[in-house]
Amino acid sequence: MSYYFISIGGTGAKVMESLTHICIAGLLPENERLYIAAIDPDVGNGNLERTSTALNNFAAFQNFSVGNDTPLFKNKISIARPFPWNPTGHDKNLDDLIEFYHHNNTPVGKLYEILYTKKERDTTLNEGFRGHPSIGAAVLAKKFDDGSKLTAQIEKIIGEGENVKIFLAGSVFGGTGAAGLPTIARLLKNNLADYADRISIGGALILPYFSFTPTNIKDELFARSENFLPNTKAALKYYSEKENLFDATYFIGDSVMTPVGEFSVGSANQRNEAHIVELYAALAAADFYSRPLHAPKIFKYICRHEHDKFSWSDIPVSSERFVQFARFIFAYVQLIKPVLIDLVAGDAKAYKYPWFVDFLKGVDIGAPDVVNFNFYAEAFAAWLKQLETLNGREVFLINPAMFEANPARLVDKKLFAALDGTKSKLTFHEIFYRLTEPFKFDSTIKGFGKFLRRLYDACAI
Amino acid sequence: MNRTTRTIIKIFLIAAVTVGCIALAYYLGSNIAGHKLATASDNMNYSRWLEKYFALTRAAGLANGLCALIWFMAARFFLEVDEAAGAGKRIFWAALLMASLAVSLGVAHFYAPILGIKINGIIFGLFAVIFTGVGYWLLTIFTTPLAFKYTPLGAHFFGRRL
Repeated sequence: MSYYFISIGGTGAKVMESLTHICIAGLLPENERLYIAAIDPDVGNGNLERTSTALNNFAAFQNFSVGNDTPLFKNKISIARPFPWNPTGHDKNLDDLIEFYHHNNTPVGKLYEILYTKKERDTTLNEGFRGHPSIGAAVLAKKFDDGSKLTAQIEKIIGEGENVKIFLAGSVFGGTGAAGLPTIARLLKNNLADYADRISIGGALILPYFSFTPTNIKDELFARSENFLPNTKAALKYYSEKENLFDATYFIGDSVMTPVGEFSVGSANQRNEAHIVELYAALAAADFYSRPLHAPKIFKYICRHEHDKFSWSDIPVSSERFVQFARFIFAYVQLIKPVLIDLVAGDAKAYKYPWFVDFLKGVDIGAPDVVNFNFYAEAFAAWLKQLETLNGREVFLINPAMFEANPARLVDKKLFAALDGTKSKLTFHEIFYRLTEPFKFDSTIKGFGKFLRRLYDACAI
Repeated sequence: MNRTTRTIIKIFLIAAVTVGCIALAYYLGSNIAGHKLATASDNMNYSRWLEKYFALTRAAGLANGLCALIWFMAARFFLEVDEAAGAGKRIFWAALLMASLAVSLGVAHFYAPILGIKINGIIFGLFAVIFTGVGYWLLTIFTTPLAFKYTPLGAHFFGRRL
């Protein structure tokens, strides 16, 4: 079995970021390989850039020899190229992409001119479909087979004897996601019709959960949050009336539209904070992957217990593994990372840190993989912090007081023992002590991976 | 082996090595310099000198054992590492090493006249080597709690331990 995750548009990219983190934390079922693909005309958008960084870090972590009997880094990933696939190319408008000049003054061309306004046809699509799924659907249908190579890649995996579970995630209220979800699902279903018994397609359809106020935008084509609800209504009508293309469909939204900090049409400035809806969508992917290949279609409802509060009882997954991973990251940032930096700079003495002498003497701690992990640990903590900053509503997955200082650096170190609000004996000192105790790993576990594995194991209750 | 068992074994080891050091200092001291020192002391014969010398080695040995025990108990139960800067504590260990040396030489220097026996440089040397060298330095290398296991000077020359 292989897992495929296809993110569509900016919201899809943010779901992909959450999926990357829960995948690294070992929350995906089994040890299957996860293929990641992204479809986004706005290749430079900040959300996608942040996700790409996390993904590339994860790809590098696969070099760490942590062993096969741990959830840590257990799912290997492959990034499907081109990543991301940009269906619009550079500086193209709809007329260019549809090759309107071939159809000028033909009946098809005249129909096209009726369906699309002059502004929709003339606007360059470097920054996405700007909240206009009608543009996206036309472009994706035209370009998918030649451009994305997804069908060929999936066929190759099936040819190697694997079954494939494909999960799509995107918004139904914007441009790229709303256009891409049904279009890509249909194209994949048609293209892979010969392998219908070997594939399963699931989708997370993200309903509106954020809003924004445009500033300094004059007469430009862009997504407007006041259109989100009508767009969603139309999309849901489509899904209820037309054939449901997904073997499992997850609708995820929020009753409150969280305002995003700064409005941007797209590009690098579109860097929105992580949101709990995206975590739910990533967990939906994990749920889909855990189901049998041809499980009957089911309808499950999940909602939170309290109106203004999220806690572990609202999340469809056990907190244990996630909290252990969070503890591992916080311990790394607090206890390990500063030491490694000081040791590289010659500002610390190795004897003080028995775990360094036992595990890392002879390991190049200035190597890119180790440096990447340092960055990743901070990025995970920052992501967690964003997740818990929900416009005044209380999210209590990890004690919010943990985030008072810069990511993962604790002012009050006593908080660590009650990371998820449950008191434990697992203090920083306890972790430090556990790291120095005798242990036995098999000989395939080595290098920096061996140390990370030991730290991860030490963070278990 | 769990942590409690390890702690009990280490406390037992500290006690055993302390007793061993007292026995070694007594045996070596009495055989190397005992006869000569007994005759040099006033109103002293060899068996009486031995009696007093045993009291001296016992006092020096127990005081040293206490230094090793203080280090162990502090490192095991009181010194906490909740941030990178809190690790090591070699100054504390070294202060106890100096205390151990002061005890070894100080007990010999001040307590021997009280007991009325004469001692010489060999006894001072023996006390320093056996009590401070073996009874504190070597002992702490093998009994230091794991969170501080490389803190005793030279500890990294010895292999993995309990």
